[in-house]
Amino acid sequence: MKFPIFRSSLVAMASLLPLSLLALITFLTIYSWPAIQYNQFHFLWTNDWDLGNLYGDPVMEHGFQVMPHARYGIWFLIVGTVASSFIAMVLALPLAIGAAVLLAEGMRKSRAAPLSLFVDLLASIPSVVYGLWGYAVLVPLLGQHVYPAMAHALSFVPFFGGAPGSGYGLLTASLVLTIMIVPLISATLRESINMTDPALKEAGRSLGLSRLEVFWHVVLPKLRTVVIGVSILALGRALGETMAVLMVSGNALNYLPNNIYTPISSMAAFIASQLDSALQDPTNMAVQALSEIALVLLLIAVAVNVIARLILWMARVR
Amino acid sequence: MLFRMKKNLSRNINGIALLSALGLSAFAAMPASAAPISLLETGSTLLYPLFNLWVPVYTKMNPGVQITTQGTGSGTGIAEAISGVAQIGASDAYMSDAQIKMHPNILNIPLAISIQMINYNLPGLNNVHLKLSGPVLAGIYNGTITNWDDAAIAKLNPGVKLPNHKIIPIHRTDGSGDTFIFTTYLSDTTPVWSKNIGYSTTVSWPAVPGGIGAEGNPGMVQALKTTPYGVAYIGISWKKPVEEAHLGLAMLENRAGQFVLPTVANAKAAAGEMVAKTPADERISLVYAPGAKSYPIINYEYAIVSKTQPNAQVAAELRKFLNWSIDLKGGNAPHFIEAVNFVPLPDSAVALSRKQIAEIQ
Amino acid sequence: MATEILETMGIKTVEKRYAPSWRRQWGNALGWLAIMAAFLILAGAFFSIIGEVVVKAFPVLRPALFAKITNGIGGGLKNAIEGSLVLSLGSLLVAAPIGMAAGIYLSEHGAGRWGSALRFLSDVLVGVPSIVLGYFGYIAMVIYLGWQFSVAAGVITLAVMLLPYIARSTELAMANIPNAVREAGYGLGAGEGHLVFKVLLPGAAPAIMTGIFYAVALSMGETAPLLYTAGWSNYMWNGHMTQEPIGYLTYVIWSFINEPFAESHMLAFAAAFLITFGVLMLILLGRWMLVRSQRKLGAYR
Repeated sequence: MKFPIFRSSLVAMASLLPLSLLALITFLTIYSWPAIQYNQFHFLWTNDWDLGNLYGDPVMEHGFQVMPHARYGIWFLIVGTVASSFIAMVLALPLAIGAAVLLAEGMRKSRAAPLSLFVDLLASIPSVVYGLWGYAVLVPLLGQHVYPAMAHALSFVPFFGGAPGSGYGLLTASLVLTIMIVPLISATLRESINMTDPALKEAGRSLGLSRLEVFWHVVLPKLRTVVIGVSILALGRALGETMAVLMVSGNALNYLPNNIYTPISSMAAFIASQLDSALQDPTNMAVQALSEIALVLLLIAVAVNVIARLILWMARVR
Repeated sequence: MLFRMKKNLSRNINGIALLSALGLSAFAAMPASAAPISLLETGSTLLYPLFNLWVPVYTKMNPGVQITTQGTGSGTGIAEAISGVAQIGASDAYMSDAQIKMHPNILNIPLAISIQMINYNLPGLNNVHLKLSGPVLAGIYNGTITNWDDAAIAKLNPGVKLPNHKIIPIHRTDGSGDTFIFTTYLSDTTPVWSKNIGYSTTVSWPAVPGGIGAEGNPGMVQALKTTPYGVAYIGISWKKPVEEAHLGLAMLENRAGQFVLPTVANAKAAAGEMVAKTPADERISLVYAPGAKSYPIINYEYAIVSKTQPNAQVAAELRKFLNWSIDLKGGNAPHFIEAVNFVPLPDSAVALSRKQIAEIQ
Repeated sequence: MATEILETMGIKTVEKRYAPSWRRQWGNALGWLAIMAAFLILAGAFFSIIGEVVVKAFPVLRPALFAKITNGIGGGLKNAIEGSLVLSLGSLLVAAPIGMAAGIYLSEHGAGRWGSALRFLSDVLVGVPSIVLGYFGYIAMVIYLGWQFSVAAGVITLAVMLLPYIARSTELAMANIPNAVREAGYGLGAGEGHLVFKVLLPGAAPAIMTGIFYAVALSMGETAPLLYTAGWSNYMWNGHMTQEPIGYLTYVIWSFINEPFAESHMLAFAAAFLITFGVLMLILLGRWMLVRSQRKLGAYR
């Protein structure tokens, strides 16, 4: 048999992707190793982040040089990251499916093309601009009008009542993330709807189903893997988003949200905002602890993927 | 450990990297001697506007030098001056003793003096200059003073009708020289704060219900603007946006027990008191200066520079630029300094800075 | 548009022999209403954001923007525009072949264990915050390899960020092509390489392009990974891949908005405007090229 040149070069090229991730993981693990040893497991479930007295003299603790009073615990970051991204995905999925259906099924191609530009353009806006829009437009609107009304009307629903806060918080961060990830889901979905075998749609229509019913009962089930796949991608994007979250989340430190209006902080935003101060730590433990956060964030992304795959697997078994 | 390994290997790998880079950009092999000397400044976002005012004027007068300015943050500025990536690291905070011990050939050269405002958003009271003290601000930020009509605030402001409303303290979430000098003031005035939280470019803020962390000085202005009953500390360069937003400006209690506004005259008074105390390496806090007129929150803005530069031309251009920047007819001239509401460096501090600049080789 | 939607809502069903039940008609109407609402929410957000950018950028949109380099708080954006193009195109040149190869592998041979492992790792890579990639690039390339702030460090960091997006959209696009097409190709005696390049890729091109444009948009909109790798320069790029920092538009947005001068704010919004509309142009250009090439090829769909 001929040597499969195409196949081998394909595999060689493709392997650069996992290799770059492995390089990143290796780097993060080696780099944060002292912090992992120093912090042990309570790093994950304590709400206690303090770079310590950066102007003091380093002290020895458990065999490591650290700044006095330095403590690293990130439970509040894990909660903030997962909550904001999860809410964003729950809100983004119906919006994205709605937009994709309207553009793919609801109108003629010639009209859909310019309108789909809107949705695609939402993806082209830099995340800093989302952040600016978030704090100039969204935060005052939500904080002064929408949230007080919501908290009043929904006071009986857990996590929706209580103090409506200032507008900077969990729900605002989720809403900005939602708008950011919708185009990612919607664009892929639209292409997939367009590419679905037309015979399937025609068969459904000939049974007397309306276009919407065809979509709901015939097309969407066929696209289940696409929907879940692209949702994971979007969730990953939300988990890793930095600037926009930094600007609207209220950046809570060392406490947990008690309702959806409370300030939170996400791991990616926290790394970005703390890196500069951490660089001032002469023992380097602060930067190492930040890279340990990055490692934990990677592990969360792994967990999200495993769960999504389990869902797919169970759906197939059934 | 990793750091040492990095340094040893980097020299060997440098060659390989350069070779591959040349391969990638064969067309760009230009003789280095003909190109102008380029300097890189990076660091403090508070000093960044001033550098941006300086550089166009300076490079026009000195076409042989190109200066790139970057606003990245004080910690980054210090780190990159140490690593040699940048020639000038701008910082609002001086390097700690522990850092100096590890990197003894790094200089901390003051270029100007900055001031900090304490602002608030109290509907109906923003045209009144409320009187606040270090212990009261510490109480607000650690959650022991929660209401605007608290007795501690009322006692400082007799006759002012304070609202019965929760205070929303706003702090910087990114590492910041503003946080450094604000927490220094709280530490100097309030033993409890000094003991539990201390001072730094980022601190472990106590969890105050409703409290907000904002990103950068514009984030602080924006957050305060949209948050009635909030209080925030903001760099003096943002005086105009703060005034345009009609936010309140506090009078602060100084070491002499007087309440003073952050005016240039009051800052100069404070600087005058502290300048005689400034040591030869110029690493000193100017916060909470003695004197009846002294405004309590001011600081030196530093250029962090390595004594040993890659070559003599770079060192010469660096000395020339830094000497110009602290000159009253150069970078410290009123039209530069007033544009960012800073205070020029006092004469004796200029002399100390010049002595340090001469050490750059 | 309205008539089509009315029709789909079942308003004209009187003429049809088969009339759906009331419940189904209501369900349909409600469904379309929800869909319209979803679209309106997105359009509202879009106009609110774009409106903000356009209004604030409008006063500074003059030719000097493209002719001058950034100088202190003002000047133009010539160096930043050049830098953004260099960094985006560079990262695309690095990332597109690798990402597409990974996507093709996933869709054609991705059923097995290796395929799922690759897919898994690719999805994990999406979750890496850009600041972490930036810091990794800083330690590995800027410090360790001694490249200093440079084009090479920025391009490679961005490319790693783009890989999973390109891989995933390529995979999804290829997987959507009916198997009959592959069978027909092999039946006519085409090799795998031939089949992929001449048949599958052209067929999947629209969806792949969507993914790549999304990736370009992403690369142009990023600040955090570049701050620590590409640095920033007030001057034009001198062609060196290492040792020299380079400017880019997002830096202007990110740091000039942090300055206390109105002039620098306007420059920041001008940069945001240029990025947004630059990407719009890219998308339009991409679609136009696609329509042309498909007409030439004669799409099999």
